[in-house]
Amino acid sequence: MAALDTVAVPLPRRSPSLRWSWGLLANLVARNLRVKYQRSALGFVWTLLNPLLTVGVLIMVFHYVVRLQVPHYWAFLLSGYFVWSFTLQTLTAATTVLPEHSHLARSLPLPSEVLITATVLSRLVEFLAELVLVLILLAAFHHGGVPAGYLWLPALILLQVVLVLGLTLPIATLSAFFHDVQHALPLGLMVLFYVSPVFYPASLVPERLRAWYQLNPFAGLLTAYQSALYQGRAPSPGPLALTAAEALVIAGIGYAIFRRYRALLPEIV
Amino acid sequence: MPSSAATAPSSPRSSERPGGTPALAALEPAIVCRGVVKHYYYYEHRTTSLREMFRRRVLRRPLHVRQPRFALSGLDLRVGQGEGVALLGPNGSGKSTVLRLLAGIYQPSSGSIEVRGRVGTVMELGAGFHPELTGGENVRLYGAMLGLSGREVAARYGRILDFAGLHDFIAMPVKYYSSGMQARLAFAVAICVDPDILLLDEVLAVGDQAFRERCMERLHRFRAEGGTLVAVSHDPEGIAALCERAVWLQDGHVRMEGPTAEVAAAYAASARQEGGS
Repeated sequence: MAALDTVAVPLPRRSPSLRWSWGLLANLVARNLRVKYQRSALGFVWTLLNPLLTVGVLIMVFHYVVRLQVPHYWAFLLSGYFVWSFTLQTLTAATTVLPEHSHLARSLPLPSEVLITATVLSRLVEFLAELVLVLILLAAFHHGGVPAGYLWLPALILLQVVLVLGLTLPIATLSAFFHDVQHALPLGLMVLFYVSPVFYPASLVPERLRAWYQLNPFAGLLTAYQSALYQGRAPSPGPLALTAAEALVIAGIGYAIFRRYRALLPEIV
Repeated sequence: MPSSAATAPSSPRSSERPGGTPALAALEPAIVCRGVVKHYYYYEHRTTSLREMFRRRVLRRPLHVRQPRFALSGLDLRVGQGEGVALLGPNGSGKSTVLRLLAGIYQPSSGSIEVRGRVGTVMELGAGFHPELTGGENVRLYGAMLGLSGREVAARYGRILDFAGLHDFIAMPVKYYSSGMQARLAFAVAICVDPDILLLDEVLAVGDQAFRERCMERLHRFRAEGGTLVAVSHDPEGIAALCERAVWLQDGHVRMEGPTAEVAAAYAASARQEGGS
């Protein structure tokens, strides 16, 4: 008779067929994108339409109704919103990636980490395409040239991937065990949206709350993106270093949770 | 017979070995399972929600503890290199669990499993196919899932299409294939992986007669070339030609083990008896 907490979950010697495979990862990313785009006439337009509509609505509300005092508010919004929508869509997809592959996971030895990473990377490819568009718009109509802040993008994208992957791994793992994750996640994301500087600048947060506010790694990430894209200059190193450290800790914990349960995932989902 | 000295007492007689495998090869085990136990905690894990965890952890109220369901209780199995072993048994006797453990899909709850060589797994044909992708795209994807690099898939591409006999349909999305065509393509990819050890769940019931014969012929060649085969079957007659030894599983343990013909006869007799009573 064993209750859940006394069940010894084996941390097994992994069979060689379960090793990480870049080839499989590339194939899965290509599959995800192909399936999404190849039979759709407008393809990428649909992917852009959702964030563009949201950005339009946010401009209407916060520029014309609430009248936030942010010059070139559209440019400010664009420099952070796509990072947010990447996060939102990736974390939401994390709850379904393992169930979608449950049939497969039971018939072939597939490393779950590759399945999960493929979800993040196929979304990242779309994000990069969106980002190119945003960069062109900002350079043409906001900066009138290419600002030095753009040079920071590779580092910021890497930070974003580490942070989001670090959350995706445990969310995918835990949602295989607890259906509650699927219910809790939208609520968590809704709160995260409002406590992160997506549609308002972090500088509007009262001074005495600022230290707490900056603990949110997404506040750090979005502020850094807004420095690089909207202001066109290097993000301030202190907060960026804090965010990077947080992202590494989150990724470490997330991977540990995943690793603890990954042997059980094919039987559970 | 040299193999009987090294392997378990139940090792096969060489006269029954089809395909003329070198007898020496049987000295080296390809698969060794020692005391393998596998239990599933389906109910505990699956329906455990945060509410149940709260009841247990915070209120300290015990849950209805469900007995673990033993799929295998202490399996010892040794398969020599180049040997063919059939797993017989009724539904739920643990046959597929054995294959999944050998493939590395599941991990044993206790005991040890050693598998030497490249493993090819055919549990379910076409499980890795995406209906929207073309046959060719699916070949590359499925090949990657089976552990082939892009170059290895490219090298086998022609062979795969030849075997499946689907050259004309390769640019068509797989959703327009008949189920037999899908199975042909999947089996063609799986067999062209060139594994040392092939794990075969009951998959040959699909496809038309001609293709089934081609599969059997290919499996015989695989055995003749020294491949190790572990196959699950409900149809002992079909599998007897491929596997010289059989293991009859019942309720997670070995009920009988020996030459396929003997085990199959005993299994068939028992099934008839149970069916009649």
